[in-house]
Parts: sequence; structure tokens; C-alpha cells
Amino acid sequence: MNKPFKPKITLFHCINSFNESASLSLNGANNVEIKTVRLPCSSMVKDVFLLRSFESGADGVLVLVCPEDQCRYVEGSIRAKKRVGWVQNVLDEIGLDGRRLSIRNTSSGNGATTDKILQETVAVLTDLGPNPAA
Amino acid sequence: MIVGEQKPLAEIKEIVGPYRKLLILGCGTCVKTCFAGGEDEVATLASALRLIFKKEGQNIKIEEFTIERQCENEFIQEASEAIGRNDSVLSLACGAGVQAIARRFAKIPVLPGVNTTFIGVLESQGVFTEECSGCGNCELAIFGGVCPITRCSKKLLNGPCGGSRHGICEVSPDTECAWQLIIERLEALGQVHNLRCYISPKDWSSSNSGGPRRLVREDHII
Repeated sequence: MNKPFKPKITLFHCINSFNESASLSLNGANNVEIKTVRLPCSSMVKDVFLLRSFESGADGVLVLVCPEDQCRYVEGSIRAKKRVGWVQNVLDEIGLDGRRLSIRNTSSGNGATTDKILQETVAVLTDLGPNPAA
Repeated sequence: MIVGEQKPLAEIKEIVGPYRKLLILGCGTCVKTCFAGGEDEVATLASALRLIFKKEGQNIKIEEFTIERQCENEFIQEASEAIGRNDSVLSLACGAGVQAIARRFAKIPVLPGVNTTFIGVLESQGVFTEECSGCGNCELAIFGGVCPITRCSKKLLNGPCGGSRHGICEVSPDTECAWQLIIERLEALGQVHNLRCYISPKDWSSSNSGGPRRLVREDHII
């Protein structure tokens, strides 16, 4: 019998948008493997970091950013959103499917929202299946 | 600077397809500034190509390297070891850089990864505009520093056409009327009298239409 698919997600997040200890309850649920990359601001996420996550075997990449009007560095969330959009197009061109990469706004105190985002990401990845370039 | 744009991924994949060991060679000057071929673009393209080839089950080894300028031998030399380790080079420089590398390494195919677009400036973040056609005979002094040969859609040298509306060219809403800019600039400089000068038809023999150009500086030749 085939082993059930357990998506590997690389999670980039601004340290102000997400509290790892409070929000990674899904790891305990045993249906997902999450690797987190903490960033001082989501604008630090570069195209190549996102692509290399897929090279390293991630089935999906999630970028959690602060709401656009709450970025401490003013434009960080907007910059991250533009980069993610660009890389989504690259993933479509490659044939990996841009839906494997997503960006969502969240804020540190809102664990319930973050859990919901993670569940939605797992659902999308379960539908897409494993990364064909892993 | 020279402004260029990276070729579409599908075209690059097609170009590099026949080779097994590929060096992606970046250029750290003009094309870096316009986000087409600097170190970051080399890394991103290499990663995207590795994903494509892995997905398709092809075993192509990709190496990354960036030098300061691909149009000068002094810098090209720094890449010679990396070039020697590979069976092809994808250059992310402008056309001059690609040819300079090809001239230096006769037995290695040097492939272009960038479409060289124009000589221009960074107008605002992420926006590049063409400012110079390299005509070989600069007359910006008369035109207040605004080039009608490059920036007027009709290349008019003796005043505006009738197609300018509110400072915008009738050819494209994204193009400012060069003659509007020239007149405003000459007014600001107190040189409106320049407009009375008759500019004779342009002698294009100093431009590329006279064939490939060559500049010789005897004082630098030993």
C-alpha cells in the first residue's frame, strides 16, 4: 500500500506576522512537514530563495506577511507580494503549477487565522500531489 | 547604461537544450542594474532551469558565475576556469558581452540569454527609458540636453509636429513629447534662441548605418 502523501511546506515569514510556537499546531497533526524560515521583514524574500525551496524538495512554499498597511518597513508586504507573483508565473512556465506557492497576510496574535491558512495550503498541495521536480 | 531583458524561459530552455554542462555567466554592470543578468538573475535562472530539467528527468549540470563586465578581457579572464569546466556558456550580458566571450573561447558555444534593448536610464524604480541612439554625433547642446533623435517618435530636428497633446506624443500615451521637453528646458536655460538655428538633415554616416564602427585611441595603444 502506498504511503499517504505528507506535504513538505517551506514557510517564509516576517517575524512580526507570525508566531511559530503558537501557530504550528498542524505539525502535531502529523499530516504535514513544515520548515520555517524567519525573516526580519517579508521583503527579504527573494525569487531565488523561493525557487531553491522547491529544488530542496518542498511540495509547497507559503509566505506569511503582515497586512499591507501594517508593515513596519512600509512597503515590505507589497514587495513580497510582487516577488511571489513573479515566481508563481515562473512555476507555471516550469510546469510545477504556481499554486504551489502562496502568500497570505496575517498578524502575530492571530493563531486561528494562521492555522486556517496552513490547512488551506495543505488542502491545495494534497490536490496537486508531490513536487514533480523534487 | 545598456538596457536588456532576459529572454523568456521557454526560449532559453530551447537554446541550452543540446548541452550537458552549462555555465550561466552574469555581468555585474549594465544588465545587473536593469535586473536582466546580474548575480541575482543568474541564481534565479539557474534554479528555474534546474527545476525544469529535473522535472523532465534530464541530467544537465548548471554552474553559476558572474563577472564585473563581460565586455573587457581583464574581467573575462576571471571566468576562464569556469568556462573551461563546461561545454556551453549562457551569457546574461548584452550582445557585446556575448560576442566578447565568444571571441575569447573559440571552441565553446556562447549563447545569449538576454535581449539587448537600448541605451537608456533608470527613470524610476523598475522603469527604464531609451535616451540615446548612439548616432555618433551628439548634438544635445543645441537641444537643451534632450535628444530628439531618440526621444521624438518622428526624429524631428527642427521643431515639433502637430501631434503633441498636453506634452504627450500622439504615437504613444506612454511617450512624452520630446519637443515639449526641449522647449521647456531651453526656456529654463534662457536659450530659446537655439530654436532659431536651422538643423540640416542628419548625417547618418557616423551611425551604425555606415557599418560597424570602430573607435581608436592612439594615446592608449602601446
